Amino acid sequence: MKLSFKGGIHPLKELHEGKHSTQNKPIRELIPEKVCIQMDMHIGAPSEPIVKKGDRVLLGQVIANPVGGIGIPVHASVSGEVTGLVTRQQLGKKPSMCVEITNDGLDEWAELSPLGEVESAPADKIIAQVKAAGICGMGGACFPTHIKMTVPEGKKVDTVILNGAECETFLTADHQLMLEQPGKIVDGLRAIMRAMKVATGIIAIEDNKMDAVKAITEAAKGREGVQVAVLKTKYPQGGEKQLIEAITKRQVPSGGLPSDAGCAVFNVGTAAAIADAVTKDQPLISRVTTVTGSVKEPSNLRVRIGTSFQDAIDFAGGFSEEPGKIFAGGSMTGIAIPDTSVNLSKANNGIVVQNLKEAKVAEPTPCIRCARCIQACPVKLNPQRLKELCDMADLAEAKKKHVMECIVCGACSYVCPAKLELSPTFKEAKEKITARRI
Amino acid sequence: MKLRLSTGPHYLSRENTQTLMLDVLIALVPTTAAGIYLFGTQAAWVLAVAVASAVVCEFLFQKLAKRPVRIMDLSAVVTGLILGLNLPSDAPLWLPAIGSAIAVLLVKELFGGLGHNFMNPAMLARGILLASWPARMSVYLMPARVLGTTNVVPAGADAVSAATALIRPQGYEVYDLLLGNIPGTIGEVCKIAILIGFLYMLFVGTVTWHIPVVFVGTVAVFTWLIGGDPLKAVLSGGLLFGAIFMATDYVTNPMLKVGQIIFALGCGILVSVIRLTRAYPEGVTYAILLMNILTPLIDRLTTRKVYGTVKKHA
Repeated sequence: MKLSFKGGIHPLKELHEGKHSTQNKPIRELIPEKVCIQMDMHIGAPSEPIVKKGDRVLLGQVIANPVGGIGIPVHASVSGEVTGLVTRQQLGKKPSMCVEITNDGLDEWAELSPLGEVESAPADKIIAQVKAAGICGMGGACFPTHIKMTVPEGKKVDTVILNGAECETFLTADHQLMLEQPGKIVDGLRAIMRAMKVATGIIAIEDNKMDAVKAITEAAKGREGVQVAVLKTKYPQGGEKQLIEAITKRQVPSGGLPSDAGCAVFNVGTAAAIADAVTKDQPLISRVTTVTGSVKEPSNLRVRIGTSFQDAIDFAGGFSEEPGKIFAGGSMTGIAIPDTSVNLSKANNGIVVQNLKEAKVAEPTPCIRCARCIQACPVKLNPQRLKELCDMADLAEAKKKHVMECIVCGACSYVCPAKLELSPTFKEAKEKITARRI
Repeated sequence: MKLRLSTGPHYLSRENTQTLMLDVLIALVPTTAAGIYLFGTQAAWVLAVAVASAVVCEFLFQKLAKRPVRIMDLSAVVTGLILGLNLPSDAPLWLPAIGSAIAVLLVKELFGGLGHNFMNPAMLARGILLASWPARMSVYLMPARVLGTTNVVPAGADAVSAATALIRPQGYEVYDLLLGNIPGTIGEVCKIAILIGFLYMLFVGTVTWHIPVVFVGTVAVFTWLIGGDPLKAVLSGGLLFGAIFMATDYVTNPMLKVGQIIFALGCGILVSVIRLTRAYPEGVTYAILLMNILTPLIDRLTTRKVYGTVKKHA
């Protein structure tokens, strides 16, 4: 039986989850003329730039130091000249401090000091190496990885899960990475397992990617404690909590962390970056991202961190029709961008361009209590009731009805025949409850 | 280039209120066709007036109340058609006209329109018609034609009224009960057609099995317990039509599966009790209406365990 969680939906099933146009397309490398690297792409305090305009930087050189307990350093993703420290609107709420570097096209690496092969590298040095490589969760959250790898005092982690579910619509970046570099992903998992002293590592993949299951299974042969789990294709199968439930049948307690369920979850792309950090000391300077939708050549691209959306779209052949909306990520949780000057961060797993027709917002109609939202909710909330409470501004009651457990996956909004804005309402309610300490 | 900014999800399911209502209408096609075939053109007129009255009333009300006109969501068409199918085929045409007006204006729009009515509009309208013109409403006409070969003599042009098959189910073969060669309202007689509609709704996901199966199952078990013939009890009155097309109305039944099962159990028990006491030959209408009223209470009392509200993993 294929593993799964309760609830959930199958979005865009009739369109093959929107993945058809980039599936099995080899990763092409995009080297931009200019990058603009954000100091605050990770969760935690923004990093402090240590370069100034006119400096020459090498590929992989540290350009900003971490600040605070969970910060990470930022590295140059090209070699060349720093052409400015600018404040620019990125995907966050407020404009971000960024370092702009003009590429000299040489890709001249900074000095690197690898730890060696993942099985022989000193286990106690791996976490520090991961931090120094500026690695954060590449599945979308951008939470600093070295923190995740450090098990909190008094907790016990017995299972490391690599998330290769890629349940979001349109994205094929993780899929393609699993096909092209399965060995590196398994290496990364082994490095995590050794650093965290965990005996079991499970790579979880949805059953719409059986070729990736095969490739990873092959690569995992003979590797200590590594297993492959096949999951049912369902959204949000790759949600951290849903993944843990599907694989271990355990639940992360309300307000808790995966370690409270004995698990640590990492994206497959993150694992590959960890392998590079350990074996080559290459910091996180590029990632795979899917550029698709209304572009002429939908592609899986390896892009340097800080590449502009415009460059990525141009590399994918440019717009095929007039764009109406562009979002970073898949269609369920992707963030709409104001214009294409925005730059790619370590978390950007996709760029989807919608045409004018697709970008139209559906007119909401009255709720008919069909309960589809209730069936869809992976957390077992009652979105219909919560929406009523939020609309009445009764946030205290909404909190009592567990609105804080909402993972804002968008499944309820997707299935709603009345086209009500359910999950955006809950996202807002959660923010208000946190801000006002209700 | 002007880009639209909005929060996800950026693509939505193709399903909307109109497509859901359209699926219900498609599911009602076999029943409607069988009703018109069995009872003749008079039945078609009753249905047409019921639908037209429902749509016109909704349109006029929404215009006068300066609300957005939503007749294109087809919910009024569904209400009108279901009410019409609940009427005897020889009903004078003012009966469907008034019935649909009651359903749409009194039961639905005055309570806030689609989604806000606390009882099924067609069901309550039928209840009100039944209480107001009991003689008109309790006439169960024998179909003018028969389906298949049977011993039942069709009533022909001189339609005669008969007692509902419920009173004397032993007088009919299961075969005739299934095909609709029994006296009854336009939509309730042909069980095969109703079941085809049910299968369609299950297939496209309009409804789940829970309410119809538990409702009908409860009546069958109850009948068996008191020594009756469960199969004939299920097939003779308006039970199947009510359980499949009226008890499943989204707006007026509970949201959680467990609530829906309680609702259906309640409906089944009430129908059995009403039939048993013979207060009315048919209890489906009042059973569903009573359970409609209990729906908010059932919704309040049924909850499910939210993810993560468990004790910590040891």
